[in-house]
Amino acid sequence: MQVITAFHGLILLFYLVFYGFLAALFTFTMWVMLQTLSSDIPKYRDRISSPGLMISPKPDTALEFYFNRSDSQSYSEYVTTLQNFLESYNDSKQSQNIDCTRGKIFDQSDAAVKKACRFNLSDLGQCSGKEDANFGYSKGTPCVLVKMNRIIGLKPEGEPHIQCTPKEEGMVNINYFPPNGAMDLMYFPYYGKSLHAHYLQPLVAVQLAITPNGTKEEIAIECKILGSPNLKNQDDRDKFLGRIAFKVQMSE
Amino acid sequence: MVKKRSDVYSVEIYGTKDLHKTEIEDEEEKHKDQKGNKKKKKAEDLKKELDLDDHRLSTSELEMKYGTSIDKGLSSARAAEILARDGPNALTPPKATPEIVKFLKQMIGGFSILLWIGAGFSWISFGIQLAQGVDSAFDNLYLGVVLALVVILTGIFAYYQEAKSTNIMASFSKMIPQQALVLRDAEKKELPADQLVVGDIVEIKGGDRIPADIRLIFTQGCKVDNSSLTGESEPQSRSCDFSHENPLETRNIAFYSTTCVEGTATGIVINTGDRTIIGRIASLASGVGNEKTPIAIEIEHFVYLVAGVAISIGVLFFIISVSMRYKILDSIIFLIGIIVANVPEGLLATVTVSLSLTAKRMAKKNCLVKNLEAVETLGSTSIICSDKTGTLTQNRMTVAHLWFDNQIYSADTSEDQTTQPFDQSSPSWTALSKIVTLCNRAEFRPGQENLPIMKRVVVGDASETALLKFSEVILGDVMSIRAQNRKVAEIPFNSTNKFQLSIHETDDPHDKRFLLVMKGAPERILERCSTIMINGKEEPLDSEKAEAFQTAYMELGGMGERVLGFCHLYLPEKEFPESFQFDTDSMNFPTSSLCFVGLLSMIDPPRSTVPDAVSKCRSAGIKVIMVTGDHPITAKAIAKSVGIISATSETVEDIAKRLNIPVERVNRREATAAVVNGMELKDMSSEQLDAILREHAEIVFARTSPQQKLIIVEGCQRQGAVVAVTGDGVNDSPALKKADIGIAMGIAGSDAAKNAADMVLLDDNFASIVTGVEEGRLIFDNLKKTIAYTLTKNIAELCPFLIYIIASIPMPIGTITILFIDLGTDIIPSVALAYEKAESDIMNRRPRNKRRDRLVNQQLAVYSYLQIGIMQSVGAFVTYFTVYAEQGFLPSTLLGVRVNWESNAINDFEDSYGQQWTHYQRMYLQWTGYTAFFVSITIQQVADLIIRKTRRNSIFRQGLFRNKVIWVGIFSQIGIALILTYGLGHVTALNFTPLRFQYWFVAVPFAILIWVYDEIRKLLIRRHPGSWWDKNMYY
Repeated sequence: MQVITAFHGLILLFYLVFYGFLAALFTFTMWVMLQTLSSDIPKYRDRISSPGLMISPKPDTALEFYFNRSDSQSYSEYVTTLQNFLESYNDSKQSQNIDCTRGKIFDQSDAAVKKACRFNLSDLGQCSGKEDANFGYSKGTPCVLVKMNRIIGLKPEGEPHIQCTPKEEGMVNINYFPPNGAMDLMYFPYYGKSLHAHYLQPLVAVQLAITPNGTKEEIAIECKILGSPNLKNQDDRDKFLGRIAFKVQMSE
Repeated sequence: MVKKRSDVYSVEIYGTKDLHKTEIEDEEEKHKDQKGNKKKKKAEDLKKELDLDDHRLSTSELEMKYGTSIDKGLSSARAAEILARDGPNALTPPKATPEIVKFLKQMIGGFSILLWIGAGFSWISFGIQLAQGVDSAFDNLYLGVVLALVVILTGIFAYYQEAKSTNIMASFSKMIPQQALVLRDAEKKELPADQLVVGDIVEIKGGDRIPADIRLIFTQGCKVDNSSLTGESEPQSRSCDFSHENPLETRNIAFYSTTCVEGTATGIVINTGDRTIIGRIASLASGVGNEKTPIAIEIEHFVYLVAGVAISIGVLFFIISVSMRYKILDSIIFLIGIIVANVPEGLLATVTVSLSLTAKRMAKKNCLVKNLEAVETLGSTSIICSDKTGTLTQNRMTVAHLWFDNQIYSADTSEDQTTQPFDQSSPSWTALSKIVTLCNRAEFRPGQENLPIMKRVVVGDASETALLKFSEVILGDVMSIRAQNRKVAEIPFNSTNKFQLSIHETDDPHDKRFLLVMKGAPERILERCSTIMINGKEEPLDSEKAEAFQTAYMELGGMGERVLGFCHLYLPEKEFPESFQFDTDSMNFPTSSLCFVGLLSMIDPPRSTVPDAVSKCRSAGIKVIMVTGDHPITAKAIAKSVGIISATSETVEDIAKRLNIPVERVNRREATAAVVNGMELKDMSSEQLDAILREHAEIVFARTSPQQKLIIVEGCQRQGAVVAVTGDGVNDSPALKKADIGIAMGIAGSDAAKNAADMVLLDDNFASIVTGVEEGRLIFDNLKKTIAYTLTKNIAELCPFLIYIIASIPMPIGTITILFIDLGTDIIPSVALAYEKAESDIMNRRPRNKRRDRLVNQQLAVYSYLQIGIMQSVGAFVTYFTVYAEQGFLPSTLLGVRVNWESNAINDFEDSYGQQWTHYQRMYLQWTGYTAFFVSITIQQVADLIIRKTRRNSIFRQGLFRNKVIWVGIFSQIGIALILTYGLGHVTALNFTPLRFQYWFVAVPFAILIWVYDEIRKLLIRRHPGSWWDKNMYY
């Protein structure tokens, strides 16, 4: 019996040493690899050459909004999400941010400290939550915020703006805040989480004024980024690259 | 075992005594085994039918028995009745498994069932996901289709391989003659042979195949070739006489499927179809079960092992993932991945390819392998039961010794002799050579002047051929010598005279005497002599000289050689003038008071390569047993000359003779060798046979019937041996089937033997078996290497799934990607290992022990799975984490992200640098990860391939470049990986993406580490044999 245990003990010891060595080796190589990385920008950004679009609030059920304008419970989740989301856009949070020149790329590559441009909530007009704490959900004019994914170093060309089109006419009238759904160039480029800590990505609020015709109907809406040649909005495989589709159904 | 023996006896007919004995045995057996089974019943049936007494009956009794008439034959109506009763005169093919069943068997055998389960799960999850409207649902559909395709393709491959091995019955049915000349309704008719019925009167002539078992009633110079049935190569004459109790020996029965060589005969059909002797042997051969080959057992063992690992890990992680609150559907998908990662899909096909490569190599060395698995069986052979004639010997009589001038001379018996070295200066030799040359009716076929003498075709019997070639070698053009010594009279050899005589003019123009030359059985020749030639002078034959003759005769006979005596007489010129008319009928010339000149002895000498081959077998731990129908003395002589009985060993009889004590008093254990007579064997119990096989290292079975081979084979198999058997006759086929590997002779073998065998020896040479053994052992070693190589990366494929489940990182490698490794990059390298040369002299070790030396043992599995496999996984994970980190996802951010990462709805997934990713962008990165993981495994598999070249020796000793195919493997591996990555990188369904070039090198240090580690392992194994390390690390 003793021989057997000694035999097994040796095996155990062997694997302990063997795996210990492998673990150390793994840790060491990973450490070496991480040393080669910059903490500011990733080594490669070729897998995200063009940004995706996303909306807020984002319903759990696959980008479909279902609510009853007269039942505040039915949309309270959306409202809370929007409120939370816009929290960081409050003026109090933007004290360090500066006012930048509109319509121009804000290149700070030479600057050691990257400044963030101020995004005024008032630009979102009726969707800013200031005038209507319910973001229009109770009035039948629900607001959806469209944002573009952050990508380090991305400099949009032209005049990028968001345009949303319902699948069927006459059910909904769409208003944009800021006007035309413009995304100002001064918010670009982004310099990354560590260098650009206070950065706020520009938002476009889309107000969906649902007509009586559209009430109780399921309205499919697709938003795209337009006006910029280097922002793709049509990719067969990536349904969120420069575009986003969602559905809204409001009951009374 | 007793039961099997009764099978044999029922076919082996040695007269009624045997039959009686078997009956008693079967009676005993019934008491032992009340249940009984089909096989025994069949054996009894066979036995009953063998109570054949037709050979004893007179013609009229036969007419009575079969209700036929010799003059008129059967009536058509009666024939039709009998045909309806007995069925057609054809062998019933064995109940063949339907092709579709065979095919389906391949579809569910081996790993297939696991992969079907995987495919089934894939389709189920496809169905569920489709119903849920998940975008990626189709991935599962494709995966299921791919898995099914893999199974179907490998199944078709295996089925095709199996279909190639031919069925034994095929050749039996080929032997059926097409037409037979039958007397029916008093008319001669040509009928298809399968229409023959018992009682039909058939006529046969030279060249015909006998259409059924026939009792002959009229013959004219009829001879039949029974070689396919009994193995006797000399044509047997046939007559109407009842000459032997045993139906097989009697002259008045001709057997189905044998050939009529010459003459004509008429006979009554007494047995048709399956009831013929050959039909019974055929049913016996198919009744002998096909044992599983050792390699099949090994592969089965391996499949169970791998499947066991796959299922237990799969189930374990299924439980883990369910208890980690993964969805059941997800857990099922994990299960599929684990199964696919664990199953070496390409391995079974690789093994088949490796075996067939070896088979090809063996075919070049004259071993034609019919059943691929037999390639390895030959390597694990521990006993070879070899025929003598033609296998160990050259199968031609050759002059081996001469006796003249009171002295024995040895002649060269090698295959390619061109001169004879013995002293030819004596005038006695001149006289002897003249007799040998002239008293010979054999002639070379014309037009062979350019061939070596030994290869020329001769018309004449075996002894005369030997003498003709012998004299041609020494004297040169024999035909012109004969022409110069014109033959004037001749008495050919016959069995009553036992001599051959001819009278010639001499080539000396001054000598007008006639020369009478005579040869024959030595004692008969000596009787006719009054003088004997010593150094060219005739001296009176006194008792002293007769004594010397006797001694020489006994000595040559004792060497198992066929001895002929030669004498001559110059006829006095006065009594026999030139014009004398010799009359051979009245013998108007002297045939006594001749001058004895000398003796020549002949033997079928061993092939020159055989002694070497036998000693190779000996050092390889293979016991060579000679099984021959020949006389024990000849058999023993040949066994001694080829080393089957080594020079120093003695049989019981030898010891008895040496010590001058009775055989019974000899201690049997002292005798290493044994010569067992077939007659003794017949009376032996299986225990006695076992004792002989166990106690004696060197055994010769002489005077054995081909059927007794089966008993010997079974005896050897009872010792736990893997038995190879050679054979050529039809009735060898049961033994060939029963043997672990049956070896048929390509030249001398009958079709049935070739069909029953697993291997055909194209040159009938024993030495070829030994080269086959060598190849077989090599392939076993190399398959070990192949399997070790293949199993290793399974861990590197499996770990990603396990870590994915436990740590919830993005999936490191896809199921389809795994299939590309298993069935793409790894295939050629694993076949390349089949070309690896042996590490050491594989013919210097004992045969593999079937029970102990497994193909896949614990050490192999542990070393591949838990050591090299884990190292590969580490290397691949480093690459994986590097790819993700350099794209913005540091390792810390990857942990636990699985749900969000894979969510379709999240399209702003944040990386470590604050960037946001859409779902598709993440998936694309994931595929890049797959590709990186794939490339890393490939790179490390190159190292794995190199280290697998040897199991003990350093790679540098084995030579890195000696096996060029390995390099083909390495380049193909990298080439395929390059094509997949860069060529097919844009085909989304395959989940490959173009990869930055530097990622190919991340795993290189790990590949080098694998190599270094394995060199250290081998070094320690070599340095410390028998140590703890050796026991655990050597596979």
